[in-house]
Amino acid sequence: MNVPYQLYYFVRAALRGLLGSPLPSVVSIATIAVAVIPLGGLMIITGNMRALLDRQGESRQVTAFLDLELDAAEETALARRAAALGGVARVELVTREAALERFRDRLGGGALLEALEENPLPASIEVTLAPGEDRAEEAGAVAAALRALPGVEEVAGGEAWVEGYARALALVRGAGLGLGAILALATLLIVANTIRLAVYARRDELDILALVGASRTFLRVPYLIEGVIQGTLGGLLGVGLLYGLYRIAVPQLGDALELFLGWSQPSFLAPESIAALVAGGAAFGLFGAAVAVARTRVS
Amino acid sequence: MTGRVPTAPPPPRSPARPPATRRPGGDPLIRLFHVSKAYATGSFALRDLSVEIRKGELVFLTGPSGAGKTTLMKLLFAAERPSEGQILVLGRNVARLGERRIPALRRRIGVVFQDFKLIPTRSIEDNVALALEVVGRPPREVRSKVFAMLRRVGLQHRRHELPPALSGGEQQRVALARALVNEPAILLADEPTGNLDAELTLEIMDLIAAAAARGTTVLVATHDLALIRRYARRTLRLEAGRLIEDASGGAR
Repeated sequence: MNVPYQLYYFVRAALRGLLGSPLPSVVSIATIAVAVIPLGGLMIITGNMRALLDRQGESRQVTAFLDLELDAAEETALARRAAALGGVARVELVTREAALERFRDRLGGGALLEALEENPLPASIEVTLAPGEDRAEEAGAVAAALRALPGVEEVAGGEAWVEGYARALALVRGAGLGLGAILALATLLIVANTIRLAVYARRDELDILALVGASRTFLRVPYLIEGVIQGTLGGLLGVGLLYGLYRIAVPQLGDALELFLGWSQPSFLAPESIAALVAGGAAFGLFGAAVAVARTRVS
Repeated sequence: MTGRVPTAPPPPRSPARPPATRRPGGDPLIRLFHVSKAYATGSFALRDLSVEIRKGELVFLTGPSGAGKTTLMKLLFAAERPSEGQILVLGRNVARLGERRIPALRRRIGVVFQDFKLIPTRSIEDNVALALEVVGRPPREVRSKVFAMLRRVGLQHRRHELPPALSGGEQQRVALARALVNEPAILLADEPTGNLDAELTLEIMDLIAAAAARGTTVLVATHDLALIRRYARRTLRLEAGRLIEDASGGAR
């Protein structure tokens, strides 16, 4: 038995099956595409939420603003205490003078500042966090620790909303997994039944093949290949339709998205996610076909 | 050889064999030992059938409808299993052949039916090619063998047409080409001329006889007595599932 030739006959039979009865194939492909769209949509949403959280943690900085009444020695002491906190990589003390300098630089000098009699800006400690996995949570912990130090007036960064947002993300993810499981089951049933119908439609042909000595493998593998092709096409179609929806929907949703995702434009699926969706489609096609042919007997 | 069943009983070489089965020629390719086939209803399709067919023989199988001719054919290519007895085909114990071993057996047995069993949506050429493709032969070899085989049955010029475009006789020639293209050791023909008129019957039968002349062991089920008389070969007569006559033909 020659494997490359067998493979050639398998693929040829699979293509012949696909093109010979296009309607059931279209049903399978459309079913997989329809399942891919909501799943991919959820992946877009969670992906962008995750990206926002990461950006938030990216600056990896928490700033503690100090009491105006502290003197330079007290400020330095506080900076040392901040540096000793867990999860802190390094600290930088920005004195009141330095803060004013920065402010002036940003405004490009100006009459407004000249009019000030006294420096209104507090000194601050800029804390850079140690590298870690869950940036948002770590930032929150450090912020809380800083807030507890006497002489710290206010802390920026590691805000409470981040925690809530992270929880929302987990919720969306969980819902996505549940929805995914239901869609997966429905898709599998439809694909398996479609391929089973194709097997029945070609029953005479299969009987004849069995008569001339076709092995189980020879009879079944073309259907598995057909399933993989249908699944891959369904996955690609789903991602394509999703991209169309994304292009149409994002400009329309503008403000609502801004509220949810911040200022940045939400991005489409990452290449890895697209590959995962298409591979998932192919896997479903294959699995559906396997279920279909496993229950078929030939004389 | 794979597929040989080591537990198969050795061929009984006793002189007590019935004279009708002792013939000149090659080794027995088909042997049935007390084979019965019963259905769930309790009725028998075959009853205690023992027969032996040697390499290169052309044997007619006759009897009224329902006598068990088709059942016997099906047992030989493992489409059905006997209820009792042993069946040796090409050294394999077909009665106990595992599911996965059946394809290898069928690749060495060509089968032809009254209703041709061609795939109507595939060209003549493709239909014949099936028998070589399931074995995994290279496409180039498949093409040339199919062409040569179609020329043998006189249909090479129609190889791109679909079976329904052909007459019954032509379709049976295609079926015969498919059965023979892989050079099987055995050809089973179940009423191969049942749907054909007298002239086409001879045409098909001549092709079958030619295959036998090339060394293929042939079993033809028919109730066409004129055909049996004309070819005058060994004839097995079944009635109600029993072998009631095993007559050697005159011409041999």
